[in-house]
Amino acid sequence: MNLQSELKVHGGKLVKVSLEVSPQGTIAGVRITGDFFIHPEDALEIIEESLKGAQLDEKEIVLKATKAVEKTEAVMVGFSPCDIAQAILMAAKTETKNT
Amino acid sequence: MEALKPTNTSWRVIPLQEHSGPMNMALDEAVSETVRARLTPPTIRFYSWKPSCVSIGYHQSLQEEVNTDECQARGLEVVRRLTGGGAVFHDSLGEITYSVIAPDGLFPRDIIASYREICGWIIDGLAKLGVKSEFKPINDVIVNGKKVSGNAQTRRGGVLHQHGTILYGLDVRTMFSVLKVSKEKISDKAIKSVEERVTCLSRECGATKQECYEALLASFTAGKEFSFGNFSQAEMQRALQLAKEKYSAPQWNARR
Repeated sequence: MNLQSELKVHGGKLVKVSLEVSPQGTIAGVRITGDFFIHPEDALEIIEESLKGAQLDEKEIVLKATKAVEKTEAVMVGFSPCDIAQAILMAAKTETKNT
Repeated sequence: MEALKPTNTSWRVIPLQEHSGPMNMALDEAVSETVRARLTPPTIRFYSWKPSCVSIGYHQSLQEEVNTDECQARGLEVVRRLTGGGAVFHDSLGEITYSVIAPDGLFPRDIIASYREICGWIIDGLAKLGVKSEFKPINDVIVNGKKVSGNAQTRRGGVLHQHGTILYGLDVRTMFSVLKVSKEKISDKAIKSVEERVTCLSRECGATKQECYEALLASFTAGKEFSFGNFSQAEMQRALQLAKEKYSAPQWNARR
């Protein structure tokens, strides 16, 4: 099941998340889209990949995303690892609402 | 040695040309490649889009942002940019677009500062038309709080590539029919009507589109050493290839 969320970052850009949660409650897959900037652009896919298997926990998501950003020496403009975490947790909450 | 700056560098300026959406994006990429290889000088180009086109940001979802059936019905092209940012309706008659492609060492390392510098050239151009505008971070130029220009930048392999649009006319009806505007985004700005958020030069001054272009050409080249030029044959050939194989291909345009 793909869970969706949209987060408008205050003073920043729009972050949209499409999330798949495993039966164990971890991130099975996440796709992040939006009108933000990240240089180099392909760092986003590395961030998405790094989040696979993560618990739906803000600290863990922020830590993994931050590590991926550092590894790729990426510069994020208009959003941050915290915004990614917030958008993912918002998407995860829609599952709770639907069930 | 004096640090390199836009004002002590020799530029190639390619006057306004009209191309398809895929070709415009392909020309930007082809020039980025030749600038990276130091085969051509830093380049400023102006262009418009024919037919009208919707471009989406590098990270956007095509299906979430664009009403592709409506684009097809209206004969509009859709293309994914190399740059991030939002979806844009490029009206073939209502817009002046530019690209600045140069070694990134010419500009501030800070991304917002480099947006501010290049957007400053737009602001100077609009001032020549009697329109007072200002830079609104991250990447907009506004007139009385309304957006008149959107800009997007990427940096790859030591090359800064920024392109942006300056609105001359505004066809809100078509814009809304082809773009899926996020409710979240509208609610955040707390303004329902796009006409209250966006303006265009035909509303802000009495200048013709040609006069607006000439003002922008003058402000973009002010204080710079430059010569007018065109794409090299190699750039054109590479762009034709990219337009066909990348920017017209669903593998690129629908990759997200």
